[in-house]
Amino acid sequence: MSDQQTPAEHELASLIVSSLNLEHISAEQFAPEQPLFGAETGLDSIDALELALAVSKRYGFQLRSDNADNKRIFSSLRALAEHIQTHRAN
Amino acid sequence: MSAHWHQRREAGGRFAIWLIRAAGLHAGRAFARAWLYPITLYFFFRRTRERRDSREFLDTALGRPAHAWDILRHIHSYAATILDRIYLLHDTTLDRFDVRVHGLEQIENEIAHGRGVLLLGAHFGSFEALRALSLRRPEVKLRVVMDLKQTRALNELLHALNPEVANNVIDAGVDPGALALSLHEAAQQGALIGLLADRARAGEATATVDFFGRAAQFPVAAYQIASMLDLPIVLGFGIYQGGNRYDLHFETLAASVKIARSERSGELQEWAQRFAARLEHYTRQSPYNWFNFYDFWHRPAQRAQPRSEPVAAAAD
Repeated sequence: MSDQQTPAEHELASLIVSSLNLEHISAEQFAPEQPLFGAETGLDSIDALELALAVSKRYGFQLRSDNADNKRIFSSLRALAEHIQTHRAN
Repeated sequence: MSAHWHQRREAGGRFAIWLIRAAGLHAGRAFARAWLYPITLYFFFRRTRERRDSREFLDTALGRPAHAWDILRHIHSYAATILDRIYLLHDTTLDRFDVRVHGLEQIENEIAHGRGVLLLGAHFGSFEALRALSLRRPEVKLRVVMDLKQTRALNELLHALNPEVANNVIDAGVDPGALALSLHEAAQQGALIGLLADRARAGEATATVDFFGRAAQFPVAAYQIASMLDLPIVLGFGIYQGGNRYDLHFETLAASVKIARSERSGELQEWAQRFAARLEHYTRQSPYNWFNFYDFWHRPAQRAQPRSEPVAAAAD
């Protein structure tokens, strides 16, 4: 596992930065395996909601609350990007 | 400080809940209500902190120094609504209560749009009394957002009394992603999403608003959720009027909330202020329904936009 973003991860990081209106961080600065939410990043469930809405708009599929893997899916940029690549409709 | 009131509230809660459930359901409401007097006295003499918090609040709300009698009435009113929770959750009709509904057309109006409604309440009166609305409109799901880790005793009671209501609770204590998705789906189902908007959980963003002429911290998450999911906001308060009477008040706070992300904190503060002003209005009319037994005005502020710097730091 590298610290380099794949193109899919970079695309998702850009979506996070634009949809959450993050001003002090660029897409390149997202470490792929850092936790996405929690005390370390300052991103909370409100940001998660914004992100979930942006993901369904951009990739054409909806993340489901009853997915047992959600904890893992939201655990890092890498995990979320992988999940999106498997399920995306467009 | 918020960890503080959580600990206090739940410690007394578990025993009280066991007692009221055992006595309440098997012996009936009249019998159980007789116990409210010794329970009230017990809390009055043993819980000096809550007594002091009650007195400070009542001084402000009544506009005169509160007497011991006022505080006893306050504690009694709180205990009575906790007892009634059993019946409000357990009964399939609310015939034993005299429930009067005000502003029904306002909430029915918003329900009719079918895009879900954010129903904002407070630790004021009985949120459970709003279940009367669900009994009238069984097709509309009421999904209450609660932190199940913080309210374990209450949640156990809920499961025992009404598994359906319990299963419709949206747990705010789960990881942020799962909570976000649950809210999204509830909105898509056209549900009533119930949220108490007067207390912030630890780490939750707040805004400073005027409440009874003093600065207080109110959480802002509800207005962000309403904006993102395009939900109307309706206030819902179930005010206990003594005896078996509850007055339900529904009032549309906003048919639509649009908050630009860039000017978020200012607009969030305005919405929190609007909510606080209406809550103050109802609380002035029914001060003994105020059930925040802790120093409400002296909680630390949480920044409304805590993300920028911590994200950068984590990425370094």
